[in-house]
Amino acid sequence: MADAGVEALTTFEQLLAGGLLAGLVFALVAVGLTLVYGVMDVVNFAHGEFLMLAMYATLGLALVGIGPLVGLPLVAIALFLFGVVIYRVFIRRLLAGPPEATVFGTFGLLVLLQGLAQSLFTGDFQSVPHPPFQGTLRLGAVALSQATLVEGIGALVLTGALFAFVEYTETGRAMRAVAEDRVAATLMGIDVQRVNALAFGIGAACVGAAGALLMLSFPVFPTAGASFALTAFVVVALGGFGSIQGALVAALLVGMLEVLGGYYLAPELKMVPVYVAYLAIVLLRPQGLLGRR
Amino acid sequence: MRWHLLALGAIVVLGAAAAFGLRDAVTLDLFFTLLLYAVLGQSWNWISGYAGNISFGHAIFFGCGAYASALCVTHGLSPWLAIPAGALVAALLALVTGFPTLALRGHYFSIATIAVAALVDAFVRTQPWLGRANGFELPIQSGWAALQFPDKGPYVLLALALFAIVQLATIALERSRLGYYLRALRANHAAAASVGIDERRWKLIAFAWSATMAAAAGVLYAQYTLFVDPPSTIALAISIDIALIGVVGGIGTLWGPAAGALVYVVLAKGVALRIGGTGKGYDLVIYGAIICLIAAWKPHGIVGTVVDALRRRRGAADIPPGATGTA
Repeated sequence: MADAGVEALTTFEQLLAGGLLAGLVFALVAVGLTLVYGVMDVVNFAHGEFLMLAMYATLGLALVGIGPLVGLPLVAIALFLFGVVIYRVFIRRLLAGPPEATVFGTFGLLVLLQGLAQSLFTGDFQSVPHPPFQGTLRLGAVALSQATLVEGIGALVLTGALFAFVEYTETGRAMRAVAEDRVAATLMGIDVQRVNALAFGIGAACVGAAGALLMLSFPVFPTAGASFALTAFVVVALGGFGSIQGALVAALLVGMLEVLGGYYLAPELKMVPVYVAYLAIVLLRPQGLLGRR
Repeated sequence: MRWHLLALGAIVVLGAAAAFGLRDAVTLDLFFTLLLYAVLGQSWNWISGYAGNISFGHAIFFGCGAYASALCVTHGLSPWLAIPAGALVAALLALVTGFPTLALRGHYFSIATIAVAALVDAFVRTQPWLGRANGFELPIQSGWAALQFPDKGPYVLLALALFAIVQLATIALERSRLGYYLRALRANHAAAASVGIDERRWKLIAFAWSATMAAAAGVLYAQYTLFVDPPSTIALAISIDIALIGVVGGIGTLWGPAAGALVYVVLAKGVALRIGGTGKGYDLVIYGAIICLIAAWKPHGIVGTVVDALRRRRGAADIPPGATGTA
């Protein structure tokens, strides 16, 4: 009897640890999304496809001998530049139209990027050859795969760095000013277009880093980013659109709900508790956990 | 309005002529798909275009019809019964899910529709009587009583009839109290509420009608493909297809969904068939590029842009672009 109880507790701890690590990766993906939303009121529906591109970029580097962790800064910089260019040539134009233009414009980008990946790289699942961190690590009763641990810790460090950047740097302050009141920010001499482009680039760099981390344990295929992005949308809405702290709290909650749902219900039903929690919370607090009305 | 009715009449006559005259199965299949997506796009347009609540879960109502059809046929009932039954279930589902969620603003509503649709999808996948993940294969029959035909012609006729009904209903909507209230709510919900428009009540009515139309399309789809499973009827991908058709053509316009369906079916699917088939992603590249171009340069959609241009030519220069039909 006592053994069964200890066993159940260990399983639960194990799941909690797994959920926490998954949540940290969701946080990194979601923070990029919510930053862009906060600064320019755009939900980038192609966010998951940016992640997919980052995963292919990591794969490409791995094929020429540069491993995912060494490649991470390169991929993040590449995605930052990609984001800035996409903002300058496309998103800026969408912002001049009606609100729904940004919704279907970024959806169009999603479809386009998935199609390009499909025609360039085929629909096959592809993984980094000989990825590092293959063992498991024991922490007390909990056994964790090293790759998952590196992904979680890496995501935590990067999310923290982004948070510090937005909170304590001059550019970060400018971003928060634009998010708060665009007109007032313009009057204070802030170049809104520059801040927007930077925020969009940083949002893309977040998934650039996340994509490099995820290649430690996931294969890439044209729709690989879609499921992560879907979770990230729920995380961002649950936390409150535009709130970075909200996204962090929600990401950890969603990560744990997903892992627990996948274990106690069924793997294909893992999102059920996440969606139930979203509906329950948003019906009580229509602005999400930490969002502004 | 006269012009709308004339245009609709012309489409019905030409479509019927095509249904009787054409024998090429590929062309008739494109016609059928075009009409089906036009109906689904218009159904979405009621709640997301006119009422302004962007839904990414509309496929569940389409699924209600498709599953009603599958259940009726596999239980020895007439598929005609599936039309009222599927419509009723869809309308109830819209009322039950719309009651709490329609009050949510903007993206919070959109994400809620994704959540509701995912829960419906998960429910279907766990229920043996709904065929779980395997779905249903409908037994092959023939004739009007069984709503199944060896040729594609009658299917095109049925889809054409459904399209005509839905377009007529939308013409009526645009001139009805419901239509004016929805557009008022969409333009400014607080202002509309201050003059006594009950947001929840009118949006629920629109949502229920919208679901009914999608369910009718679902019945027709099931009878056409004779196969119903979650990925082909209620999945997120289908919901997104429906929403994109709605916005590409022009959100909140009478002919927008039909124009959007034309772009999707003819340009994306038709062109892809010619240059090497699907599966290589060319159709997605073309379709995605078209959506990007429209979003960046004609953000009011195809029909919205045409309507704006017509209004401007008639001298109503004081109306800002996009205000017509969309506001």
